[in-house]
Amino acid sequence: MTVTGQEIADYVDRVRAALADLPPAVRDELTEDLPEHLAEVAAESEGSLVDRLGTPEAYAAELRAAAGAEAGAGRGRRRRRLAAAQARAGTQLRALDIQLGPLLGQSSVSEFLRPLRPAWWLLRGWLAALLISVVLQQPSGLLPRLDGSVLAGLFLLAGTVLASVWLGRRSPGLQGWPRRLTRLGTAALLIFSFGVLVNVDQHASSDQFGSYQEVSVGDRYDSIEDVFVYDQEGRLVRNAQLFDQNGVPIRLGWPTCLSVDGNMPPPRNAYPYCPDRAPFGPPVPAAPAPAAPTVSAPPAPGPGTATPTPSGSATPAPTVTPSAVPSESTPTPAPTR
Amino acid sequence: MDTTQLLKGVLDLAVLAVLKEEDGYGYDILRRLREAGLEEVGDASVYGTLRRLFAAGLLTTYVVPSESGPHRKYYSLNVAGRDQLTRSGKTWRSFATTMDALLDDRGMAA
Repeated sequence: MTVTGQEIADYVDRVRAALADLPPAVRDELTEDLPEHLAEVAAESEGSLVDRLGTPEAYAAELRAAAGAEAGAGRGRRRRRLAAAQARAGTQLRALDIQLGPLLGQSSVSEFLRPLRPAWWLLRGWLAALLISVVLQQPSGLLPRLDGSVLAGLFLLAGTVLASVWLGRRSPGLQGWPRRLTRLGTAALLIFSFGVLVNVDQHASSDQFGSYQEVSVGDRYDSIEDVFVYDQEGRLVRNAQLFDQNGVPIRLGWPTCLSVDGNMPPPRNAYPYCPDRAPFGPPVPAAPAPAAPTVSAPPAPGPGTATPTPSGSATPAPTVTPSAVPSESTPTPAPTR
Repeated sequence: MDTTQLLKGVLDLAVLAVLKEEDGYGYDILRRLREAGLEEVGDASVYGTLRRLFAAGLLTTYVVPSESGPHRKYYSLNVAGRDQLTRSGKTWRSFATTMDALLDDRGMAA
C-alpha cells in the first residue's frame, strides 16, 4: 500500500474544503464514507489517489453534481463560486501557514501567533475605547476621553479591555451571526486603528510640543548657523538674546567653533556663538571717525595787500600737503535693516 | 460518443439495478457496476448518486460493523426504490428500443 493515511486525510480535507459552501449536515453526509472509500481504493491498486481519482476538487465537483446537492435555497451559482474560491484561498493560506512557520521557529505561523492573542485582545479593547471616544466626538489623543475627562476615559478603557478579553476567550465557540458580527467589528477596528496611526504620526512629526522649534524651524532659516547683531553704530553686539512676540527664545543655528577654553559651547540663547566669525570685521573702536584729510595752506595773499616782492625765495603757489591719517579700518558698514 | 455523458442519464437506473438482488456498500456497488461493464463510472458519481437516491427516499441504509476495517454503510432498495427501478427500467427499454430501431433503419451496425 503506497498511499499513506496522511494522504487520505489530506484528500478528504480538500474535498470537504471544496464543498465548504454546503450546509454542514449535507457535507458531512456526502463525505462520511470518503475515508473508507479512499482506503479501499488505496488498498486495491498502486499509485497516488490523485492519479486514480483526479484532484480532490474535481472529485468534489462530481460528487456534488451526482448528489444534486445545491448549496441551499436561494444560493445562486455566483455564491457557490465565491464559496469555492474562498475554500481554495483557505487551502492555500493553510499551506502558506505551514511553509512560513519555520521562519518563525514554529511548525506554522498560526502556532507562532496563538500565544500573542491575549495581547491582541488588550489592543482591541484600547482601540474600541478610542473609537467610542471618537464617535462621541471627544477630543482624543492616545487616551480615550469622556466629557473631556481622562479619568472617565480610563474607566471606559478598562471596560472595553475587559469586554474584549471576555469576547476573546469566548469567540472560538461563536457560530453564525455573532461570529460574523465579531469579524466585522474586528475589521472596522483595524481600519480605524490605521486612521489613529496616521493621526498620531502626523502629530509626532509636526513638533507640536517643541516650543523652540515652533518658531525657529523654517525652510528660510535652515541654513543659518550663527546670528550677528550690530547696533546702530555698526558695532557687533555680543551675547544678544532673541525673542519672538510671545517671549519665546528664538533659537537659530548652532555653535560651530570652540570657545576660549577649548570646549564646544552649549547651544544657548546668546548670539553670536562665534564672534570671531563676524561677517563685517572686528568692532570699530570707540575713537572718532577717521580724520578727514587736513589741508594746510598759507593764506593766500589778499588782493588789497598785494605787495609784489621780487624775492627769489617766494613761494609761488600754495602748497597742499595732504596729511591724511591712514585709517587702518575699512569703512564701517551701517546695517540698514 | 462519450460514455460518461450517457452514464449521467442512466446512472440512477444502473445503481438501482445492481441493488435489486443484494444490498451493498459504496465501494461494493461501484465494483459491481464496473464488473457489469460500466468501466468509466466515476467513484464520486456513484457516491453522489447513492446519497441523492437515499435523499429521495428510494434507498434505506444500515451500518454493518466490520471485523477487518471500518464500519460500512449498506444501501438497500425499499418499496419506493423498487417501484422506481421498474418504471425507469421500462422507460430505458423503450428508449433503447427506439434508438436501436432508429439506427437499424439507417443500416448502422450494432
